[in-house]
Amino acid sequence: MASISTSGFKSGLKVLIDGDPCSIVENEFVKPGKGQAFSRVKVKNLKTGRVVDKTYKSGDSLEAADVIDLDMDFLYADGEFYHFMMTDGSFEQYAADANAVGDVLKWLKEQETYIVTLFNGAPLVVTPPNHIELQVQQTDPGIKGDTAQGGSKPATLSTGAVVSVPLFIEEGEMLRVDTRSGDYVSRAGKK
Amino acid sequence: MSWRPSAAYSMLKARASLVAGLRQFLSGRGSLEVDVPTISAAPASDIWIDSFEIRDPDGQPQGYLLSSPETYLKRLLAVYAEPMHALVKAYRANEHGLKHATEFTMLEWYRPANKDVFAAMVQDISDLVVLFTAFGAPRVVTYRELFEAQFGLNPHTVTLPELTDCAISALGPGAIDSQNLDSMLSILFATDIEPHLANHIVIDFPVVQASLSRVETDSFGDLVAKRAELYLLGIEIANGYYELTDVDEQQLRFINDEGRRIEFRRPMVPRDEPLLQALRHGLPESYGVALGVDRLLMVITGNQRLAKCMTFGEVR
Repeated sequence: MASISTSGFKSGLKVLIDGDPCSIVENEFVKPGKGQAFSRVKVKNLKTGRVVDKTYKSGDSLEAADVIDLDMDFLYADGEFYHFMMTDGSFEQYAADANAVGDVLKWLKEQETYIVTLFNGAPLVVTPPNHIELQVQQTDPGIKGDTAQGGSKPATLSTGAVVSVPLFIEEGEMLRVDTRSGDYVSRAGKK
Repeated sequence: MSWRPSAAYSMLKARASLVAGLRQFLSGRGSLEVDVPTISAAPASDIWIDSFEIRDPDGQPQGYLLSSPETYLKRLLAVYAEPMHALVKAYRANEHGLKHATEFTMLEWYRPANKDVFAAMVQDISDLVVLFTAFGAPRVVTYRELFEAQFGLNPHTVTLPELTDCAISALGPGAIDSQNLDSMLSILFATDIEPHLANHIVIDFPVVQASLSRVETDSFGDLVAKRAELYLLGIEIANGYYELTDVDEQQLRFINDEGRRIEFRRPMVPRDEPLLQALRHGLPESYGVALGVDRLLMVITGNQRLAKCMTFGEVR
């Protein structure tokens, strides 16, 4: 892959650092009037999700990482791998392992579109949509009259995720949930 | 890239008013505004300043776009020994960022003084802050105080291995590779000290950063560079030098810069012979201050992006 020098650093750029694929989150040009110039970058390790600060002298370069984000529908799990298919009409399929899916497992729903990040052609990370609609599988009945207090109770969704929902939510309802915070957003249209 | 100006109309007004105010500030103190070229046969010798080299249509070198009007103002000073200032466009290649632009506006002024040159310069900078901002008089601190408080090290005697250890604990392992003393001091200062300097004039810099300033012994017996740098809201705004007048010392600095340019594989540039001749003729005891007008405007208007304070700022 090509080398990218500090002048080409920008957020979203995927680079290799110590062999790991990383994404540049933030890049700041630092230069005292008479001093040497540096790039202070925040990089996210795409394998571990950790964000670290790095400092490079201007003119230093990093190797570009063969990393690409693609939209794919989740098809099914076979017990070992999670199978995804490109949404571009190519029907190309990719198998992600448990490492790539990670915590996203609890938001994994068939026919939903996810961003699958490929590193050297293999799924590295799966990112869920910010909002997802899921069915309530189990929740205790709310006590009538409590709705005004805006109380909440736990509800287990079809994917296994447990979210805090208002008392009026019943089993079988479709909910809109924010996957970033794990918060209930609203009721969704019944299906 | 958009064809539109990057500055709002209110910013253009703030800018016009600041520029008029700065001119008044200096002329009110007896300084004469002079017009100087922005092209010179020799650029700044500082190894980390990249000047644009100009070529004619036949590819023949025609000099450099200046990174500051210093050389011309000093040549004027050597002849007339009067306070003078110039408001110019300055150019520095490879500088792009939230607080950097390759073309920017610089106000530079020089003032001969018979005694307490350094104190007079610090007072000048302080008066400017009081006049043009709502911050009040800046706190004057030594580079040593700041460095010792932050890292527990004396910046004037510290060694490269000590700084490297310090950088590892301050910036994280592998965050930066060990290089030279000047750069290590710069990055540590820029990362962990500068952001805290809300309204400060930092004085007495490490000698490796003397550039064209005079070197003296401080009260602790260490050699320090007689520079004063103004920081507002963590941004470097102005830089003042108790100017070097000794031609031999000046020549040594040039030779030293040339050596460092070879060492760090930086492009070689012609030596500023007219400046050496001016010094040989005799530069009066004086100080010089360079102020980043766009950056001062950032602070005055509370804008985080330099490009928004320039009429057609670079948008990257």
